[in-house]
Amino acid sequence: MGCFAPRVEGMTTHTDQPAGQAGPTRTTRTTHPADAAGASRGYAPERPARLSWAQHAPEVYKAMLRLDTAARQGLDPKLYELVKIRASQINHCALCIDMHTKDALAAGESVDRIVLLGAWEEARHFYTEKELAALELTEAVTVLTDGFVPDAVYDQAARHFDEAELAQLISAIAVINAWNRFGVTCRLAPGHYRPGRHR
Amino acid sequence: MTARTHRLDAGVRDAMQAVSAAAKKGFGDAALAELVMIRASQLNRCAFCLDMHLGLARGLGLDQRKLDLLDAWEEAGEVYDERERAALALTEAVTVLTDGFVPDAVYETAAQHFDEARLAHLVALITVINTWNRLMVSRRIPPGGAPW
Repeated sequence: MGCFAPRVEGMTTHTDQPAGQAGPTRTTRTTHPADAAGASRGYAPERPARLSWAQHAPEVYKAMLRLDTAARQGLDPKLYELVKIRASQINHCALCIDMHTKDALAAGESVDRIVLLGAWEEARHFYTEKELAALELTEAVTVLTDGFVPDAVYDQAARHFDEAELAQLISAIAVINAWNRFGVTCRLAPGHYRPGRHR
Repeated sequence: MTARTHRLDAGVRDAMQAVSAAAKKGFGDAALAELVMIRASQLNRCAFCLDMHLGLARGLGLDQRKLDLLDAWEEAGEVYDERERAALALTEAVTVLTDGFVPDAVYETAAQHFDEARLAHLVALITVINTWNRLMVSRRIPPGGAPW
């Protein structure tokens, strides 16, 4: 799942993690700067969202949820979290980084692999060749305004993913880019997400 | 030039069309929607989407000057009104996300011209054309060709 206004009411398509299945999520509990502890540490106040877009465009939001579900079919969830975190880093979507790093940690991803994503090209031995091909494609498809998706990048991805899986990967990259745009434009605040809520 | 692949999951396709239809319907201004989608497609250099939306814009009877000057709309004086300018500025900010956040001034100008519901649908429209651009450029779908 991607980014949406966490406090929108009446949007119950996704499921919260069942009670009693906290597991690793217990160790990644959210503490955000808006709480009393944040204020006592001298953190800046949380800025309000610009726009609760999902409330104002509920049909769009519902279709986005369908799109998200369709795009993830057939993709390795672990790989997809890496893709989502990397695209969200490039697009500077704080809400999406918060959400997907928490989900990745809760799903058992290593801290090293998450922390090093920002410099994956220099940390190749932390990732499989398939993951590296997916990350490179993620960057090319995300930074579209700097050039087309290079043949070398596409061809490398096509060596690791069969045609159907590659179409899903492209769709998935396009979809996290979409959530990033909603998150950044509407300035949806990070820090409130609890892992597992959107997976 | 041939497509790299025509493959696109039917569920993705259907949901994308639903997002597009909902965004356009909620925004309500079909002509300005085309200008927005053409401008995003210019920035993302999506030949397929440019071809398609320029065709749709002509079909809607959009002033040819608005289409011709779109790449330099900021310098095009009276060709675009303030509302169109606000929508185009937002389109650029939301499309070129990797260069920075969406500036307050750009967002606030858009919010002066569009109420919250229309603004939410404008953001959705800009977002969905960006998504189409990515799906078409990545698969290198040629202009006028079959998208799947």
